[in-house]
Amino acid sequence: MVRTLLRLLIGLGIVLGGAGLPAAARDQLIIGSTQFPSTLHPSIDSMLAKSYVLGFTQRPFTTYDQDWNLVCLLCTELPTIENGKAKIEDLPPGFKRDAGTTFCKSADPTLATKGMAVTYTIQPNATWGDGTPITTEDVMFTYEVGKNEKSGITNSELYRRIIKIDVLDKKTFTIHSDRVDFGYNGINDFLLLPAHLERAALGDDPAQYRNRTLYSTDPTNPGLWFGPYRVASIEPGSQIVLEENPTWWGEKPQIKRIIIKTIENTSALEANLLSGSIDYIAGESGLSIDEAIAFEQRHKDAYDVLYKPVLFFEHITPNHDNPALGDKRVRQALLYALDREVLTQQLFGGHQPVADTDVSPLDWIHTDDVKKYRYDPAQAAALLDAAGWTLGGDGLRHDAGGRPLAFELMTTAGERTRELVEQVLQSQWKAIGIDVRIKNEPARVLFSETISKRKFTGLTLFAWLTSPENVPHTTLHSTMVPTEANGWAGQNYADYRSPEMDDLMDCIEIELDRGKREQMWHKLQAAYAEDLPDLPLYFRAQAFIMPKWLRGVRPTGHQYQSTLWAEQWRIQE
Amino acid sequence: MTTPRADAETLPAAGLRQPLGAPRLRRTVRQRLLSHPLAVASAALLLALALLVLAVPLIGMALGVDSETPNLLTRMQAPSSAHWLGTDELGRDLLMRLLEGGRVSLGIGLIIAVAAAVIGTLIGLTAGYFGGRTDALLMRLTDGIIALPRLPLLIVLAALDVTKLGLPEQWAHSPLLGFWRIAVIITLVGWTTVARLVRGATLSLREREFVRAALALGARPARIMFVHILPNLAGPIIVATTLSVGNIILAESVLSFLGFGIQPPMASWGNMLTNAQEMMWSAPMLAVWPGVLIFATVISCNFLGDGLQDALDPRA
Amino acid sequence: MTRFILQRLAETLLVLLLMSFVIYGLIGLMPGDPIDLMLTADPKLTTADVARLKALQGLDQPLVDRYVHWLSAALQGDFGYSRSQSLPVWQVVVPRLWNTILLMGLSLVIALAIAIPAGVQAAARPGSLTDNLINLSAFAGMSVPLFWLAILMLMLFSVHLRVLPASGTFSVGADGIADRARHLIMPVLSLTLVTVGAHLRYVRSAMTEALRQDFIRTAQAKGVSRGRLLYGHALRNAMIPFVTVLALEFGTLFSGALIVEQIFAYLGMGKTIYDAVAGNDYNLAMVSLLLSTAVVLLSNLAADLAYAWLDPRITYR
Repeated sequence: MVRTLLRLLIGLGIVLGGAGLPAAARDQLIIGSTQFPSTLHPSIDSMLAKSYVLGFTQRPFTTYDQDWNLVCLLCTELPTIENGKAKIEDLPPGFKRDAGTTFCKSADPTLATKGMAVTYTIQPNATWGDGTPITTEDVMFTYEVGKNEKSGITNSELYRRIIKIDVLDKKTFTIHSDRVDFGYNGINDFLLLPAHLERAALGDDPAQYRNRTLYSTDPTNPGLWFGPYRVASIEPGSQIVLEENPTWWGEKPQIKRIIIKTIENTSALEANLLSGSIDYIAGESGLSIDEAIAFEQRHKDAYDVLYKPVLFFEHITPNHDNPALGDKRVRQALLYALDREVLTQQLFGGHQPVADTDVSPLDWIHTDDVKKYRYDPAQAAALLDAAGWTLGGDGLRHDAGGRPLAFELMTTAGERTRELVEQVLQSQWKAIGIDVRIKNEPARVLFSETISKRKFTGLTLFAWLTSPENVPHTTLHSTMVPTEANGWAGQNYADYRSPEMDDLMDCIEIELDRGKREQMWHKLQAAYAEDLPDLPLYFRAQAFIMPKWLRGVRPTGHQYQSTLWAEQWRIQE
Repeated sequence: MTTPRADAETLPAAGLRQPLGAPRLRRTVRQRLLSHPLAVASAALLLALALLVLAVPLIGMALGVDSETPNLLTRMQAPSSAHWLGTDELGRDLLMRLLEGGRVSLGIGLIIAVAAAVIGTLIGLTAGYFGGRTDALLMRLTDGIIALPRLPLLIVLAALDVTKLGLPEQWAHSPLLGFWRIAVIITLVGWTTVARLVRGATLSLREREFVRAALALGARPARIMFVHILPNLAGPIIVATTLSVGNIILAESVLSFLGFGIQPPMASWGNMLTNAQEMMWSAPMLAVWPGVLIFATVISCNFLGDGLQDALDPRA
Repeated sequence: MTRFILQRLAETLLVLLLMSFVIYGLIGLMPGDPIDLMLTADPKLTTADVARLKALQGLDQPLVDRYVHWLSAALQGDFGYSRSQSLPVWQVVVPRLWNTILLMGLSLVIALAIAIPAGVQAAARPGSLTDNLINLSAFAGMSVPLFWLAILMLMLFSVHLRVLPASGTFSVGADGIADRARHLIMPVLSLTLVTVGAHLRYVRSAMTEALRQDFIRTAQAKGVSRGRLLYGHALRNAMIPFVTVLALEFGTLFSGALIVEQIFAYLGMGKTIYDAVAGNDYNLAMVSLLLSTAVVLLSNLAADLAYAWLDPRITYR
């Protein structure tokens, strides 16, 4: 009896003792993330968690850096018209544009029949992890996969715009694209695949490529990776271990090993951080803003919390087909009636700045010279009166025919922050006589049916990810309204039609001169703030919770994540 | 084939050997129930809870608090004279939210328990009385449903798009959809216990003299089932139903916790726990109270059911 | 007996087939698809891309066609690829199945190790303080919401006391028995605490029933010792109904495992099912749901066989 008890105690001791081993000199970083990538293939499945991991192990040709400038990572020099690496050229004979594409009215009409030739040179020392040099053969292979409709590549818009690619030598190639636009030299999403390994996986049956790709079947193959780190081991669904890549040509990373653990439950994520099983919670896929604020209040001595506003534009899309919401004055009144400053102060500690338009304050094209909607319920009331909605005895507004001013407000169910915001919105609008009914749906219903097929009758609250200097063509252009007739193509869910805005967007797209473009962007933002196609709320922020000894992590604020500069991260105890 | 098993449902085969409707029996049952202090306490607690949640609007008026309007400036406050239990993450009075959540959770528990009992009784009676093929078919169906892993099935059912099933859009968009949806799906899997219990009991009661007498007198099957057999089963059915309320409340709270049940802003004890989970460190009481209430309600139901079971068991 | 077993196995397969159709239909009735969610996560994605990707997954085909396609492949042993993991379904499911079996098995063993002796002691002294205390604990365990208990344990052991890992199935680079054990402590403990109550009640109930039988009185009169009376005679008879109840408990145990796995990020079948259903991963959802149904059906069969073995009065024809 005593012996069994003793054995039990010893066993327990061994088991618990594992918790108390002394820490050696730190050469690894354990990162906690809330999502595990569904695949590590760079171009299949759009997932921010995946691009986070890939930032350690691969490099795109071009990307936006922390200051939102376009820079070269895998290429040697950014091709521009000024340095001669980019040229405007005629399109091949017989080339046809898609029906329904509009063109800037004030621009040189011949530009509509022109494309561009942009030349890139791959970094001379760029090598795959197994020693094979990165060459234009990989570029051609990637293009082949991207062009193929059946290969499962998610973002094929990029490849559709390419007419052809010319190989000049082993490291230099020219992309011929089908249009002139100011973003001609950014091929951020052209992510290289290793031809020497993947060609066999592609085989004759591209439809099976997704399942046969080595990124799924053999992810630890060093030949797949060419960044400062490579994937050493992977536990599907729970963790990825990254080790230094000996063939990396850039600055040698200080941290030898990076482990990314996936913990979906945010409370458990916090608990893991506090107990030491993870060191750092990645802002890109970590705690929500209010959880981070609460965490900071409790643990600011032990951890640094960095907040960075990102390009998740949280807004309300009204359905302009609704007679009340189609009236600009009503939309403006709705915005005047909201105290967005107090909202963001109280709920987000002021870390999520109020947005005036869909352009982020961090973007170089941003201007403050637009109509602002400070909290002004008197002004809101005046606008509603002018629009014909008068306050009735029941505290609600009615039009001349007695119809009440009432809408449904929808958002993704289960997202606490949004539900919080909704309820605040509801009560602030009630105060000026608008009856708003909250109706939430799970995200999959909302996005696949209600929003995308424009089944909502009132307002929907959601966010979309944009990118630096992003022309809001799909969301604001009048040809982009999803209808049954066009197969629900387009993201102009509001059904906003403005010829002025259409033309501004078309002209911005082809304007290569930065100065002239800036002017047009300012005009666009002013028009947006005046018209309010959507009601802007704020730009979401991400919280990076770091131990005091981690340095060099620089959040970017857009979808090209901080891990693309992982070789600069330092451990300084 | 398989012989009828003596399993948990038929073990409390109480009340079946009593003669019908003797007033002396009822008094004895009540006396025995009252002699169980825990059962009495549980009944009292449940009654108190029920009264409290029914009186929610009155309480709101008396305390002068509004449980609907969010107030950004009073978020997550500690208990005070204005808010007896403090406020939740939206600044609403916690006590009121708990009571409203109780209204939903208790209401759903009761509705489902009764509905499941009714369905289960009907199925069990039919299977037990008619026997043969009907019995085999119904029992296979019952076994099939019991065999399924419950929670995953509930999750799949809760995620369904009802418009694809032909439900008109208006109903699909009403705020009560979440409430009724949960009620329906938990009932769909909840009737099996009562069905097996009733079927087992009916099988044995079917052979008794009073049934044979009724048959000889020309009574139709429906009459025999509902007028003669059913009253004898009242005891075990009540016990099983009471015991099931607890499980139903737990099932609803799990579904709401996972995000498939009652949707905010409608409060239920389950979804108050989902929201409060992330605030565990800064406002732990937000998570403790709903859990405590669920615990108290479920354990009371269990004690009450247990007490009823003992009271109705003639052999104790 | 062999005929009986074969017949039951055939019935099991039939139920599985029926279930596969029902489940496929139910998942198909779920609205939308994760591909639609990608639209908001990628600014360059267009609705044309979404349509193309859905077509690649076969989502534009009618449900019945997809089901038939899946069934014919499955009958040939090809269960397809998991869309959320980009791996063959079996490769995803098998390790997770073991993890869940480990979790459920340990919980069950520990729960029984507590429930049987406690139930026996409670039944032996009805109405006493021991009995009341044991009853109270059993009820408490059955009434506490599992997810609440799990979160409380997480806070206590991982955050405040820092003795146990807060999640995962094992640690990177240190996978061994001790490590696995540490990761299993809280999940097993929470699952055991909520299931032991029900087992205890059943044992106590069955024991009470057994102790009432005449043969106990006879044995007592014959002077059999208390211990032998309880364990040798009464318990053996009580086990018969209890074993059948145990089989029914597998379903509950499985659902409990799902919650525990979610909260502790323990990679098991429950979590797999949840994620697969939520992610519209048909192949993975089908296999994991059918597998769990099969496990429960087979355990029913095992319970019936055990029942026949334990009770010599029962024979199956």
